[in-house]
Amino acid sequence: MTAKRDAGAEPGLIHRRWWTPYLFLAPGLVMVVLFSLWPFVNTVILSFTDAQILRGGGFVGFDNYSRAFADPDFWVATGNSVLYLVVVVPCLVFLPLALAVLVQAKIPGIGFFRSAFYTPVIASAVVVGLIWQWVLRSDGLVNTVFQKTGFLSGPIPFLTDSAMLLFSAMIVTVWKGLGYYMVFYLAALGNVSTSLYEAAAIDGAGPVRRFFSITVPQVKPMMLLVGTLSAISALRVFTEIYILGGESGGPGGGARTLPFLIRQVGLGFSGETGYAAAISILLFLLTLVFSLLGRRLSKGDEN
Amino acid sequence: MTRSNLTRLAIAVALAGALSGCGLSGGGDVKEAEKTGKVAGEITFRTLQLKPKFTGYVQGVIDAFETKYPDVKVKWEDVPGDGYNEKLVADAQAGALPDVVNLSTDSFQLLGDRGMLADVAKLDGEVAKEYVPGSWEQFKLPGKGDGVFAYPWYVTPEVLTYNKDLFVKAGLDPAKPPTTVEQFFDYAERIAATSGGQYSAFMADPKGRLPGDWQKMGIPILNAPQDAFVFDTDKAVAWVERMKDLYAKGAMPKESLLKSDDISQLYGAGKLVFGPGSPGFIKDVKQNSPQVYAHTQVAGAVTGTLGHIGIYAQSLGIKKDTKHLDAATEFAKWVTNGPNQVAFSKNATIYPSNAKGLADPYFADRGDGTDAETTARAVGAESLKTAQLDANTPVQWTNQVGDAVVREVQKAINGEQDARTAMKKAQEEANRLLAKSAQK
Repeated sequence: MTAKRDAGAEPGLIHRRWWTPYLFLAPGLVMVVLFSLWPFVNTVILSFTDAQILRGGGFVGFDNYSRAFADPDFWVATGNSVLYLVVVVPCLVFLPLALAVLVQAKIPGIGFFRSAFYTPVIASAVVVGLIWQWVLRSDGLVNTVFQKTGFLSGPIPFLTDSAMLLFSAMIVTVWKGLGYYMVFYLAALGNVSTSLYEAAAIDGAGPVRRFFSITVPQVKPMMLLVGTLSAISALRVFTEIYILGGESGGPGGGARTLPFLIRQVGLGFSGETGYAAAISILLFLLTLVFSLLGRRLSKGDEN
Repeated sequence: MTRSNLTRLAIAVALAGALSGCGLSGGGDVKEAEKTGKVAGEITFRTLQLKPKFTGYVQGVIDAFETKYPDVKVKWEDVPGDGYNEKLVADAQAGALPDVVNLSTDSFQLLGDRGMLADVAKLDGEVAKEYVPGSWEQFKLPGKGDGVFAYPWYVTPEVLTYNKDLFVKAGLDPAKPPTTVEQFFDYAERIAATSGGQYSAFMADPKGRLPGDWQKMGIPILNAPQDAFVFDTDKAVAWVERMKDLYAKGAMPKESLLKSDDISQLYGAGKLVFGPGSPGFIKDVKQNSPQVYAHTQVAGAVTGTLGHIGIYAQSLGIKKDTKHLDAATEFAKWVTNGPNQVAFSKNATIYPSNAKGLADPYFADRGDGTDAETTARAVGAESLKTAQLDANTPVQWTNQVGDAVVREVQKAINGEQDARTAMKKAQEEANRLLAKSAQK
């Protein structure tokens, strides 16, 4: 039978079957299903149970979700995550662009600055957190300098006040993200035709005009991408809060973000995995909303 | 929502329910192994981060056991501290627990409660008298009768460490360390008033102080049937208010309200009067800050109205459905016997939970009374002999309960809410968590 079919096959396509392409896809597909899709499906399933560690719970319907909506901790964490996003994303969209424009200049020694701005990106989040802790603690660099010079009578509670802690963590996130997104913009700026700038210069446009009339429109797609990526990372913030504010997430857990809350609720021997899964799904939906928003904005831009 | 969407959602929910019913259950129905009278077979022994520092000691104990019981082969696996408990949970879920396993209080409670550990009192009740009473009793579980679910292993007692130079600077007598929580706070207040911000008295971190401080003050943690937290009392409120006052006055470093990990560093830099409370830390101070170590004095831990300390022991649990119960039991008893525990204590800054071991002259030697490490050893060992269960963190006080209470207390100390509200909210949340974990 095989011989018969082979005889009628086109030259060069012998042995091809309908499933051949799928065979090539299979290894990747298995990995995706095993390590991405199944954990996700499992989380969805878990979110409808009252499972705890080593105690598989029963089906509880939407109980975990209604509990989340009635849980003040959930709303504090959601508020913090959204606030984080609202503050951090604009900073990470505009500041790295300004930085990229500055370091794009072809002057001797500029490579040093490019590398310097990129250093926080490759530094471990833990090291970055510790450095900032030394800077911001009550007896740290900032407070000591301001107190010694008479600007302050007492220390600013950067790390021991929930709101201040959240903003301190934002500073760390922005500082660490600057170099990363700067590289994105450098790539985008490299693609802007120099003839546009030359034509603008001939028309008498100054540097500011050139920036807003040429640079910004040309890198706008990249700005939208940076906006979407930084929004997703802002919703995933955990390390900065943990290192600066300890394992409670600031005094009384007041600076906890959603990932922080998920870890706190779900980990440990008395962890409520079902409830933690429900919050994870809610975080996923929140991330999805912001990602779709970014997509929509970029589509609008294309149109 | 369209009709087809509704159908899809209904299918998804039904599927979720069906799958959750079949694939997510853990533990519970572990079959109990039975003794055969023959000490033989291959058993696995898991320890917590003992390699490479104690490889020689542990291997020596294993070799000696295998010489005594030639039909037994012990397979030793050592797991790093990070993620130890997570690995235990994963193994328990997969039914792959080691035959003899080192457990901390948390993991002991979880595995014991889920019926995964053998009742060692039933296996060999006679052995109970070998251990310090407080340590043997510690491995009982609420609602599980007289069952004991692990052999007590090494112990680290609480001691009081202080910088006597700073004590004198604050106008306190180094020969009269505090003995009650209230007195400890009085001393701290005096230190704050005289230090001028140069040094603090102690770490604020409520996690490190609770529920120990409350037990020492005679504040009940649980009700008599042990099924509800009852710490919301006037005395507990007073404790929170005192902490708040001391924090505001600078008796504790500001950031220590949230973190406790730099205590050795602060004490070693001479910025803290009351140092780390465990003998292991004293060794660190000796190595890293010899100058401060020279001014370090050790005394018995603050015990308050209790008059004794609690016992915080590591333990060796036996997998309930082990294939070689006799070998596993004999081995766990072997590792935790007097001579082996004493030998371990001479290698590390730990103490035997074994009564005979603790009676070894090594632990009574105070030297000339000037070396803090030697004094700590003697003071710690002495207090262990009279240690009792009622000063222990109850098993119901899980990490999550502790965290919930600490969060409310932190808010009160920081001035974000009043002490009474903090206690009320803390107790409510603790009871919610307790009820949740009691659901079978």
